[in-house]
Amino acid sequence: MELFNENSKLASVIHKDHSLLPVINRLGIKLGFGDKTIRNICEEKGIDLNFFVETINVFHYEAYFPEKRLLDFSVSMVIEYLVKTHQYYKDYLIPENDRLIELFLSASPDENAENDLVRKFYAKFKEEFVIHINFEEREMFPYILELNRVIENRASREQFKLKYPEYSISSFEKEHSNMDDKMDDLTNIIIKYLPPNYDQNRGNAFLANLFLFEKDLKNHSRIEDHILIPKVKQLEKLLVSDE
Amino acid sequence: MNSNQNISVVVISQSDLVLTGLFEVLKGSLASEVVLLHRGDELVDYQAMNGSVLILATSEEQEKSSSLMRQILVSAQQIHFMTLHLEADSVYSNQTINLFDAPTLICYKVNEILNSFLSDQNKDTDTELTKREIEVLQMVTKGHSNKEIADRLFVSTHTVISHRKNISEKTGIKSASGLTMYAILKKIIDMNEIDTADLI
Repeated sequence: MELFNENSKLASVIHKDHSLLPVINRLGIKLGFGDKTIRNICEEKGIDLNFFVETINVFHYEAYFPEKRLLDFSVSMVIEYLVKTHQYYKDYLIPENDRLIELFLSASPDENAENDLVRKFYAKFKEEFVIHINFEEREMFPYILELNRVIENRASREQFKLKYPEYSISSFEKEHSNMDDKMDDLTNIIIKYLPPNYDQNRGNAFLANLFLFEKDLKNHSRIEDHILIPKVKQLEKLLVSDE
Repeated sequence: MNSNQNISVVVISQSDLVLTGLFEVLKGSLASEVVLLHRGDELVDYQAMNGSVLILATSEEQEKSSSLMRQILVSAQQIHFMTLHLEADSVYSNQTINLFDAPTLICYKVNEILNSFLSDQNKDTDTELTKREIEVLQMVTKGHSNKEIADRLFVSTHTVISHRKNISEKTGIKSASGLTMYAILKKIIDMNEIDTADLI
């Protein structure tokens, strides 16, 4: 294992783990950074250095999870990152998955009922997934940002109470494991149980993208479940104790 | 999946160096989950662990918190301790990991113990579903609730839940729609018998 720090050259970080490319994009960085270190780049672009380093390390190394340090980041910074991740799913990963699964299924020698079943299962998964992220963006994130403004005395407590009388973050918690389960089911069905007469190269291409999606989604859930939600619980406690 | 799913490995050490080192050494050679903790009492976050649990900890940590850990892991079928001996001298035992043990030796010792767990579970690595599990699966795919399945098979809901858990462990599929897919692909049910638009 290797953890990166502010003095690592970003080019060598990407050489070591190219799956970080979409992550650095989300954090506001595009290719063409020459030999600059992470510190140089973050200063140049006005990106929070600690947040950058911790986020790429969390993504890069599954056993690395400095929860206490991550809890220092502001709620709005974490949410901004999560929203960009959603965007990446909606604008790129999902359409790319759609394209690859269709290439894969339509290439099977006999276009059969089983293919249609895989297609339906995937469509249902996608539908639920999009509903889930839209719900977070329309309901959960605005709730958290508003709560944060109240705690920082930048919004009215009374209006907040009127708007969210019975709300609490614990109602959102179970959702993720469901999405992760369905993603696991989809990969397992394709790897273990698909009938043997399928197009191998296209099957592999689809799975490669699906695994990329799975890895990204797991990290996304980790950040929500272990950083965002504990932080919101702290804020909710503050709200009650301030009364 | 197979019964490996029911085995968890927990490494407890105050030292991140030891934790990450053992994680690196073990992760490639185990089918089990590896959990890293600084102290025994942090196991409270993993209360739901069931099946067999192997805990790697120093003898001091074991003395301090082994009884607490046993209390926390109420759902576990068996708990086995291995000792981390982080001194310069070595203890020659299959139950002890020494500071200077080679990675291959560490993997060997840990896997020996995990294999003994498997034989304790009568080597139940069979992934074929039993007749009863197939019956339950068929009803799940038709949208029956656990209660309805229990009534039809004249068993308790608890038994149905345990069948469903075994089905998911053997197949690696958890959701109802995923199980329906599995049942159709394996020709356990006929696609025409169910309303796929509804279930999938």
